[in-house]
Amino acid sequence: MNESLTRLLACKKMGAIAFDERFNISYIDRYAEKIILSLCESAFEENVLSIFPEFVGSEEIINKVLLGKKKEYRLDYINRVDAAGAARYIHLLVLPHEQSGHGLLVIEDASEQGQAVQQANQQRYELFLLKHDDAFRKKRLHESIIGKSQAIKEVREIIQKLRGAPTATVLIIGETGTGKSHTARVIHKSSMPAEAPFVEINCAALPEHLIESELFGYEKGAFTHAIAAKPGLLEEAHGGTVFLDEIGELPPSMQSKLLAALETKTFRRLGSNTLLEVNARLITATNRDLQNAVREKTFREDLYYRLNVVSLTLPPLREMGSDILLLADHFLKIFNVELKKQVKGLSAETRQVLLNHAWRGNVRELGNCLERAMIFIESDYIQASDLALFERDSPGLQKWTVPPGGILLDDVERQLILSALQQTANNKSKAARLLGLSRDTLRYRLEKYGLD
Amino acid sequence: MISVKKKICLLGSFAVGKTSLVDRFVHNRFEEKYLTTVGVKISQKLLPPVEEPRKGQLIQHTFLIWDIAGLEKFDRVAMNYFRGAAGALAVADLTIPETIDRLHEFCEKFLSVSPQALLLILGNKVDLFQNDEKTLSKLVKTARFFSSQYLLTSAKTGQQVEKAFETLSKKLGSTYE
Repeated sequence: MNESLTRLLACKKMGAIAFDERFNISYIDRYAEKIILSLCESAFEENVLSIFPEFVGSEEIINKVLLGKKKEYRLDYINRVDAAGAARYIHLLVLPHEQSGHGLLVIEDASEQGQAVQQANQQRYELFLLKHDDAFRKKRLHESIIGKSQAIKEVREIIQKLRGAPTATVLIIGETGTGKSHTARVIHKSSMPAEAPFVEINCAALPEHLIESELFGYEKGAFTHAIAAKPGLLEEAHGGTVFLDEIGELPPSMQSKLLAALETKTFRRLGSNTLLEVNARLITATNRDLQNAVREKTFREDLYYRLNVVSLTLPPLREMGSDILLLADHFLKIFNVELKKQVKGLSAETRQVLLNHAWRGNVRELGNCLERAMIFIESDYIQASDLALFERDSPGLQKWTVPPGGILLDDVERQLILSALQQTANNKSKAARLLGLSRDTLRYRLEKYGLD
Repeated sequence: MISVKKKICLLGSFAVGKTSLVDRFVHNRFEEKYLTTVGVKISQKLLPPVEEPRKGQLIQHTFLIWDIAGLEKFDRVAMNYFRGAAGALAVADLTIPETIDRLHEFCEKFLSVSPQALLLILGNKVDLFQNDEKTLSKLVKTARFFSSQYLLTSAKTGQQVEKAFETLSKKLGSTYE
């Protein structure tokens, strides 16, 4: 065969084989030989049908190509497995050879293309399943708890086991920003039907006088402004999950009422004598040491044991080792999509900085830190200087000393909230992130200081 | 005894279990995780000898089993996958009735390039099937339409998988010339 043509084919990851009407090989170029040797388990064969059984049954049509009665015969994406067990794909094209009655088989290594198509199809299929197959969706949900550390593996295992216990009460313990609310949602979604309600209540965000009416609901006329009856959040969670975040902040007066509702699975709306039944899974979360609160008598012991049927501890980020990098890569993918960026990754130095940082705000802080870096970045890789972690660490506690004349803590808090709102152009979600608060908690404080 | 190589295609929508059926038949294994197939994957399997009814000769088939990706369009290159086949197992997922509807298109396209080929209709994933009569009757009607037999199979449990391939081998043996 022409040397230039052979070179051209090799450049395109193609090789060529010439063969006669009995499919015996008369010529093979180096690239074709290389592809075949990488794909065939047995010794090199001299017949095309032995190397490519894909042609068995199509001999007649191939002979037509050899005789010039048909232009070509091609098979795309023939699957093979190489010696290392990796999937490989080849395209086969039979053309008439210049020598009459002979054929030219062009083999193209299409592995990269094939693998890309396979991955795309796989994602499409899994998306389809996520939308349509409840069992598949539930099975995959626990994978959204990212990490390979032992602590995270244990969290995932407990969530898997909870799939089979859809009524078990769960207490999630973890520092602020460790993902307690996300974990509660994963537990709910992985063990309840898709349409089951998930009602989240932040006990710290609700003023004490509102908690009872919000939780249990009220009848018309139950109190001055009760102009119409309203079902409580417990009622709305019927058949699903009620998630009480920051349960450690629940006022003592409410603790006994909640305990009674949990024990009897019944409650009364404010101003009503009718007992209502509630059938909902209870998930609670706290960043406080509830056992200590029990010792200090600020949290009821009987309620603590009622809530602590299954406890799940979310590790602080600083104890998650290299999981920090897995989470960082995960956020990178999310913010690339959200911010329409194409950041390729984190530099080696950045990765080290992330591993060394204390992460007092845990996963929430990591997410915020990367989001901010991604907003301003203009290069392909996030550098350590993009993170602005040092700035966040630098205001040491000594800078926040109380002046000799004293200070009103509420004033300081009010000023900081105003400053955060100013910096974020009144975006409450972003302001909450800057302050390390949840949106609900910020909303409560805005109400408290009359800033809403 | 006569040894014959035959090309057998597996047809059907994506995720109906074509690759799992081949895996169960050729390697006697089942992989829970689904991996989409791109293009075509060929496996070989020697079948028990069958008797050709007219002369009583024993014929042993080696099936070259073409596990073809659940095609969405049938262009010229895709149709080449079907050429030269002696038979086909047309597979539907009993838990997704729409995959039975799509069998018509697959079988018609297949027979248009391999008109002499034999067809066998398989309702797969019978282990998950709730015996819904409507679905079953749809499968039976499809089999009748193509003058074919049908079998209910499970690649997961192995139910009727060997029987499916052996049925095809027997049918091919009876038409041997």
